[in-house]
Amino acid sequence: MPRRKSVAPRRKRASRPNRSRKGAARKRPRRFRWRYLFVGLLIVLVGYGAYLDFTIRTHFEGKRWALPAKVYARALEIYPGQALAPAQLERELKLLGYRDNAASRAAGNYTHLGDRLRFTTRAFQFWDGREPSRQVTVQFDNGTITRLQDQYGAELNLLRLEPPAIGGIYPHHREERVLVRLLDVPPLLQQALVAVEDRQFYDHWGLDPRAIARAMLANLKAGRTVQGGSTLTQQLVKNFFLTNERTLWRKANEAVMALLLDWHYPKTEILEAYINEIYLGQDGDRAIHGFGLAARFYFDKPLARLEANEIATLVALARGPSYYHPERHGQRLLARRNRIIDILEQDGGLDPASAQQARLAPLGVVSGKPGAISDHPAFMDLVRRQLREQYRQQDLTSEGLQIFTTLDPAIQQQAEQSLSRQITRLDQQRNLSGSLQGAVVITSASGGEILALVGDRNARFAGFNRALDASRPIGSLIKPAVYLTALAQPQTYTLATLIDDSPITLQADNGTRWSPQNYSGESHGQIPLFTALINSYNQATVRLGMALGFEPIATTLRRLGATRDIPAYPSMLLGAVNFTPYEVAGMYQTLAAGGFRSPLRVIREVLAADGEPLRRYPVKVEQTLDSQTVQVLNSALQEVPRLGTARALSAQLPPGSRVAGKTGTTDDLRDSWFAGFNASHLGVVWLGRDDNQPTGLTGASGALRVWGEIFADLPGQPLEPVPGKALEYHWIDPRNGQISEQGCPGAAYLAFIKGTAPRQKSDCAGGGERRKSSNPFNWFKGLFQ
Amino acid sequence: MNMIRSLSLFLLIALLGACASAPDSGPGLEVGEQPATQVRPATGTSRPVLALLEQANQAARQGELAVAEARLERALRIEPRNAVLWYYMAKLRLHQGRLEEAAGLAAKSNSLERGDNRQLQADNWRIIAHARQRAGDESGAREADQRARALANEY
Repeated sequence: MPRRKSVAPRRKRASRPNRSRKGAARKRPRRFRWRYLFVGLLIVLVGYGAYLDFTIRTHFEGKRWALPAKVYARALEIYPGQALAPAQLERELKLLGYRDNAASRAAGNYTHLGDRLRFTTRAFQFWDGREPSRQVTVQFDNGTITRLQDQYGAELNLLRLEPPAIGGIYPHHREERVLVRLLDVPPLLQQALVAVEDRQFYDHWGLDPRAIARAMLANLKAGRTVQGGSTLTQQLVKNFFLTNERTLWRKANEAVMALLLDWHYPKTEILEAYINEIYLGQDGDRAIHGFGLAARFYFDKPLARLEANEIATLVALARGPSYYHPERHGQRLLARRNRIIDILEQDGGLDPASAQQARLAPLGVVSGKPGAISDHPAFMDLVRRQLREQYRQQDLTSEGLQIFTTLDPAIQQQAEQSLSRQITRLDQQRNLSGSLQGAVVITSASGGEILALVGDRNARFAGFNRALDASRPIGSLIKPAVYLTALAQPQTYTLATLIDDSPITLQADNGTRWSPQNYSGESHGQIPLFTALINSYNQATVRLGMALGFEPIATTLRRLGATRDIPAYPSMLLGAVNFTPYEVAGMYQTLAAGGFRSPLRVIREVLAADGEPLRRYPVKVEQTLDSQTVQVLNSALQEVPRLGTARALSAQLPPGSRVAGKTGTTDDLRDSWFAGFNASHLGVVWLGRDDNQPTGLTGASGALRVWGEIFADLPGQPLEPVPGKALEYHWIDPRNGQISEQGCPGAAYLAFIKGTAPRQKSDCAGGGERRKSSNPFNWFKGLFQ
Repeated sequence: MNMIRSLSLFLLIALLGACASAPDSGPGLEVGEQPATQVRPATGTSRPVLALLEQANQAARQGELAVAEARLERALRIEPRNAVLWYYMAKLRLHQGRLEEAAGLAAKSNSLERGDNRQLQADNWRIIAHARQRAGDESGAREADQRARALANEY
């Protein structure tokens, strides 16, 4: 059986060629040619169709699902008793896009009522719950909130505003998009797009033959292209593959892809993609894609807050951003905008009064265009780096995560402006021809939250992030670690212990000799420890450090938070060790927090796109240093601005602000540092040049000025000496470390571990006379140390 | 209003107070002895902070510790030098089983307590004793426990 079966077909097959061979030998090639040609063509067409289908779907899906993580600044909390001026609150409301509009009590409006501010908040979903929309009245007195009431007059203890959005995380570092969901798009914009660009949008299959015919007719009549017949879908396809090529082949391709797109996806998704994708202008080499970004670019506000006339302007631009260029062809754009307003009025999208108001409005395109959507590139850079440790890049750029950060926009702005202003001034003063650069890090003193971060004198410039990446010698900023190591042995060293500031020469194993000198070139003999610290004497510090040994000092640095290897050679004692401003902030943070180390935090919480809580980054503290010893050191650092190298600060800070800090200067005046804190905030400022050439600036004449300007306006609690059970405070004579009195010249108010304070009393009057004679130069010296 | 506030505050304290005995104290050392009364917010505590404590308490009662934690942190941003807030935070960590972090927070609380709240200090030392014991630092745990006991005798 199997045999027969297997044989029969073979015979059959064999007979065919025979037959054909017998038959039309001449006809065969011709018939075959046509058939093959037809099949071949079909295969090519289907293949090409499949290719187009694949291409357009990949593009569309790629755009559709790429919802970047949204990054928020901290939400401002408002409460009675808070130091917050009306102007500051108003600035915050403006940042959130609130309008000054007495007529409306809808969410997102505010108005002044004498010394009160009335506004209606927007509801917002936070990690710890939803804040409902509330209409509130805030009363101020002398820069402080005295009363907070809701619309029924009930007193509120606390109110949390929405957090300002500060940017997104995009697949490509420099790409900027402000993606919007259709739900958040003003209905008027949707209506206008359909009415103006594609009336049959909701009915056609991706192409509109009637519109094409109409356009062809119009173009024939005019003898040139005056009308387009492209549907929104076609325009979207065209935008996916932007080229200037205008061939029939291209148009055919686009048409096929438009049909495919329409077949695969609902209209709403196509419209959403259109709104996010369409090309709406150019800013240098940056293309403005999508209405979200265009709203920011042209009107400096979010899409949802555009007025009718502004929506019409953007819709006008969609037709041809360069043809309707707002600056070059303002009249043309205005005319088209008004035509669009007419259409909206006819369609009932705008009532006659609103339409008239919109027609009368000026174009209103902002001239000082925001350079970037991320207003704070250095801070965003840090956020991105910390997120990347825990999230895949793909999730960050496509899952629509909500990132709640610690940024304080008001402090950030203050830091940016102060850095820019002071650098410009110093740059001119020292003839540095624009080469002076700088960085600022501001944190909350107790929790280690990064409140502001600036990495360039031009804060909008997303280039080298000096706050995180400029690793420079820290100079005298290292000295507190040396003195802290000494003070950790209170039986041997107190702030009043006399140490030697005479010249010293050290010889390395290879025979090289090193003779560090004081900045002034003078030696001071036997001086109390605190005098050496607050005046930043190098000779005394090296002598002290050599007596303590490198290893204990390196341990102190590690306990402060240093993670780098600390070199064990003498110049380390004067700060010949590199750190970034961010790292320095981490170390001084431990001092500001009284010996408790907190990893610097930039992210508080991460929520999914739908508001589901995903991850918290809680406050963590670890005691790494004895808090009494740190308290003792800090009491000396508080005298640096009063009596030491940071005396120039007193001219900048309001009276009564008690701060602690340390200046830092490196060899040949290449780096200028200041790190300081009050009870609320810590700030680190670095100034220098990228090519590491001298700047002519000391810590006091450079970085200190920036720090002072920032902190002068920063609301914060002053440092208070709080005597505990274990500490006692005394006025100490700066010459001999003996007990002095308040009011005696140069006397410092210092902390001592109980039982370790000096007992001998110094003669105030005599000392006073001597100090007075040298006083006129003291303030002068302070500027340069 | 005040009645409600003090009642719910008491509940928070009671709940967080109960946490102290949650982690096993081990047979070797008797730590985690409950204080007779609970630590209350200091008299100068501001209204927004009290409001947040109330909300934290609500969350804690519903077992939403991450929410309670977020609210305590908000309170801490308003009063970063409030020793009692750091202490509540430490207790929350203890309840979450994050002992090492709890000890850090308890030590922070003690470093800020300048007044005579011996009970707070004693409780903080108990937390530190727990953490040290868990970390295998027997002598450290004993020392912390002794400090707790010494303080407990004073109040």
